[in-house]
Amino acid sequence: MDEVTSTAHRAAAVPPPVRRIVLDDQPTVVTPGANGNGNGNGTRTPAVRFAASDTAARERMRVEELTIAYAGRVAVRDVTLPVRQGEVLSLIGPSGCGKTTLLRSLNRLTELTPTATRGGRIALDGQDVDELDVTLLRRRVAMVFQQPNPFPMSIFDNVAYGLREQGTKRPGKRDLAPRVEEALRRAGLWDEVADDLGRPALRLSGGQQQRLCIARALAVEPEVLLLDEPCSALDPRSTQTIEDLIVRLRAEVAVVIVTHNLQQAFRVADHVAFMYLGELVEYGPAADVFGNPRARRTREYVSGSFG
Amino acid sequence: MPPATAPIAPRRPPAAPAPPPRRAKLLSGLGSWSDRRAELTLGALACAVLVLIGLMVVFVFSKAWPSFWHNGFAWFGGGGDVDRQLDNIYNGPSRPSEYVYKLHAWPLLYGTALTTIAGVVIGLVTALLAAVFIVEFAPSPIRRLLEPVVRLLAAVPSVVYGLIGLLVIIPFVNNHLIGEGRKESVAYVVQLNGSGLIVAIVILSIMITPIMISIIVDALRSVPQGWTEGAAALGVNRWRAMWTISVRSVRPAIVAAAVLATARALGEAIMLSMVSGSRGFAPNPLDGLTFLFEPVRPLAATIVDHSEGLSVTPFAQTLYAFAAVLLVSSILLSLGGWAAKRPLARWSAR
Ligand SMILES: Nc1ncnc2c1ncn2[C@@H]1O[C@H](COP(=O)(O)OP(=O)(O)O)[C@@H](O)[C@H]1O
Ligand SMILES: [Mg+2]
Repeated sequence: MDEVTSTAHRAAAVPPPVRRIVLDDQPTVVTPGANGNGNGNGTRTPAVRFAASDTAARERMRVEELTIAYAGRVAVRDVTLPVRQGEVLSLIGPSGCGKTTLLRSLNRLTELTPTATRGGRIALDGQDVDELDVTLLRRRVAMVFQQPNPFPMSIFDNVAYGLREQGTKRPGKRDLAPRVEEALRRAGLWDEVADDLGRPALRLSGGQQQRLCIARALAVEPEVLLLDEPCSALDPRSTQTIEDLIVRLRAEVAVVIVTHNLQQAFRVADHVAFMYLGELVEYGPAADVFGNPRARRTREYVSGSFG
Repeated sequence: MPPATAPIAPRRPPAAPAPPPRRAKLLSGLGSWSDRRAELTLGALACAVLVLIGLMVVFVFSKAWPSFWHNGFAWFGGGGDVDRQLDNIYNGPSRPSEYVYKLHAWPLLYGTALTTIAGVVIGLVTALLAAVFIVEFAPSPIRRLLEPVVRLLAAVPSVVYGLIGLLVIIPFVNNHLIGEGRKESVAYVVQLNGSGLIVAIVILSIMITPIMISIIVDALRSVPQGWTEGAAALGVNRWRAMWTISVRSVRPAIVAAAVLATARALGEAIMLSMVSGSRGFAPNPLDGLTFLFEPVRPLAATIVDHSEGLSVTPFAQTLYAFAAVLLVSSILLSLGGWAAKRPLARWSAR
């Protein structure tokens, strides 16, 4: 059963997007399901993961031959990568290898940098993102930054910001309240702030601020959530909270998380992409990349020899 | 691994510290200025400034008192020609018991409020739009040109603006904007010669705008990039992000700029006396467009225009009364600015 489905999936899937590694007949994109990533999380039974990756519609975004340069200096070179709904994709690699750049290109935030140029294609549900209205694209593909960046306004206004800016007619506070609560609950912040949503967001702790930013991103109900090292400025407890949150969100949105923390990638990711000097070295199920890496670079990085 | 038999180098005794050179002692004397002493000194300085301001207020009010006392609340009201009243005070009998004080200063107060408020409102709106343009939308060659120009304009002495108004703008307004018909329609009340309310307001707003642009540009520059980026990531365009995040977060700086500009507009004397028409006249909005061309004279301009009369005691006391009103206005202005900024501080980081 396991074997049958995975073969079927393999047939339907595009060629393995592995670069720099020549392998005979072994597919790099292995249908997840057979092996969990070993942390024994109860919510992530193989059955669920299997079902989640079964349908072809699961692939939400696709990056093809993506190359990004800053003023001619290449930061991301020729990367091909799928982003699937119902799983967490983790980008790992030493700092400066282009993880942030790749992530920001997914909702065209790289366009804010005047020197950045891009080649290759990025598709959201089969549609080229360059043809989408950038405003709509960014609503569907939300981003959480490395440094928590809540706006200098109340907690409520922070979460409601995206909602208020969406329509031409501004929704009233009464309409917004349930959606704000919902977003704060999904981000696991509700219990801590419910008593006073009028509090200034900048007085929250770092971990709370980052969860507020996640709530702000979730409020507009994105289909893909991009997280750029969301825990790098946080203490272990806040990190734990956010990791739990990511695992929970996985069912509803496609999550891409950049992290330089291998433990973290191991804990939350279903698929892992290892980048080195702007190139995608290895992509595959987390268990394979960590347990049985194919490329020497990956092996060295995963075992801590460099980076 | 070192051989076990290697002799252990004898530890050198610590060198006796060299006697510190004289300079060092002097410097360390400065360094030993404790926080406590610095605090006391600065506190004393601040108190001295406060006492000085207090003394100034007391002095001005004691000089101004007779003018207020003789007129009561009518001082602030209208009635009669204020310029004729000023003449009467100047030309009144020189015996103290017969001093003339009668004054209804309303046209001057009204002229001050009109020029200041209109100038600041126009200037603030212009400054805000210009600052947003410079920071967010201007291509960098234009930005590089605009910024030094703005700083330069902020430093131009007001008398230069007054001169330009007198030599260029007033003749233009007189020859091209005010028709003969308009002049005749109000000829029985007031002469229109080009100088007047609109010229005063326009030049005043030009004069106070650059400093406001500078302050707001600096504030907008210091808005963390993470905020605008965060807004962009939520699908908000640059223009909306600018207004809803950047401009919103620099509201304290906008208030500060407005307060500074208002203070400058309130105190502007020379330029306004040159271009305002310098008549103690209250422009009447019911005159329609003619209203804009009618002459005014704000308080500060009144003081410079009449400073030669200071030797006449009741006249000097009247001028001190004008000064007292300006002083109170600027104190209220500072308090107002402080009150407007206070609730905004809540949203900033700590
Ligand atoms: N705004 C920028 N302008 C110029 N170069 C940049 C910019 N952002 C990143 N880079 C360069 O691109 C490369 C990749 O950076 P980044 O994507 O931030 O890496 P990572 O997130 O993996 O640490 C680095 O060499 C970095 O110096
Ligand atoms: Mg990075």
